[in-house]
Amino acid sequence: MMDHNHYRSAVLADPHASDAELRAHLESCAECRAFTEQLLRFESRLERALRVKIPATAHVLPFERKAAAAAQGPWRWPAMAASVLLGLVVAGGVWLTLPQRSLAADVVAHMAGEPDAWKRTEVPVPDPALNAVLQQSKVRLKPGAGVVSYASSCDFRGHKVPHLVVQTPSGPVTVMVLVHEAVRTSMRFDEQGYRGTIVPVPGHGSIAVLMRDSESTGGDISRIAAQVDDAIVWTR
Amino acid sequence: MNDEVGGKQRRARFQALCQSLRPDLLRFAFWLSRDRALAEDVVQESMLRAWKAQDALLDEKAAKPWLLTIIRREYARTFERKRLPTVDVDELVAKEEPMLAAAEEQHIVELRAALMKLPDEYREPLVLQVLMGFSTAEIALEMGLSGPAVLTRLHRARRQLRAACGEDTSLDPQE
Repeated sequence: MMDHNHYRSAVLADPHASDAELRAHLESCAECRAFTEQLLRFESRLERALRVKIPATAHVLPFERKAAAAAQGPWRWPAMAASVLLGLVVAGGVWLTLPQRSLAADVVAHMAGEPDAWKRTEVPVPDPALNAVLQQSKVRLKPGAGVVSYASSCDFRGHKVPHLVVQTPSGPVTVMVLVHEAVRTSMRFDEQGYRGTIVPVPGHGSIAVLMRDSESTGGDISRIAAQVDDAIVWTR
Repeated sequence: MNDEVGGKQRRARFQALCQSLRPDLLRFAFWLSRDRALAEDVVQESMLRAWKAQDALLDEKAAKPWLLTIIRREYARTFERKRLPTVDVDELVAKEEPMLAAAEEQHIVELRAALMKLPDEYREPLVLQVLMGFSTAEIALEMGLSGPAVLTRLHRARRQLRAACGEDTSLDPQE
């Protein structure tokens, strides 16, 4: 039989540990429940404290510079000629297209426009409203996927996309179903107070899953994204 | 021709992988060294080593621990090369003040200062667990420790931090 000391030592080493013995003790002991709740609040602050802001000067990978340097050398003159040509093409075509930002940056920028979506609530979006949003992208959610507290059909890169907020044990998580945005591999990002991932869905574009740093309780975003991916059923 | 295309695609994938892991790797190096400039140098050098040795990475899912190991070794090498001087922790905190204070709330700033003062042997497993999502077994493997030794360090790290931040520790277990 586990005692208080043993339980508290175990959760101090890993506040998210939850084997059967620990769970049984937690259910039977109010004092240890209070201890755990206090510890989890501290843990949330600890994770935020560790996620220091990364300076903007540290964003270029060293081998990108090496690759650029390698383009000079024996190919320097042809490269310069090509760059002049490229410059002409770009200058000539500049009015045809806006500058391309990264997909992650656009997803984060979209969040700024809908701050109300992040409310913590247990009130689900009514099924007809949720289904109307999801049907546009030919998807539905499996039963038990979690409380969807926000559902909107949003304009994103020229398409209507479902923007959902799902309440999870790790806090509110935003999901954007990006049918028109194919990505080759998973991309994690951490920008402007949001951390998330964009995962490829072969044949169906991609899914962006992100959380606010300020509301994260330490959930692993890749694991949450995998759960979201698993809860989505594609109907086309 | 196909080899060339395959090589380019592989390099592009590796580059994307490094880019996505970079923020956490920089944070890890920062908490390892407690020095922003040194952390950037260590990560830059580690990325170059990783780039040259990318064929050794057989499974992309293993990229994070693989890169972390390279960073830990590079940091150790920097220590050997430069014989970094011992510095006062309060000086370190003051020097990194802009980075540590880039938070909205005072209690986060205080917690960062307490993390700076935590002994290396407690801070590193804590960062691996909380920031990098490593399990106890993975931390043990990375640091060459036993599982129980890792748990003891994590337990002590949180005790010290909570006490330093004025948390109620009356329910903490006896050691």
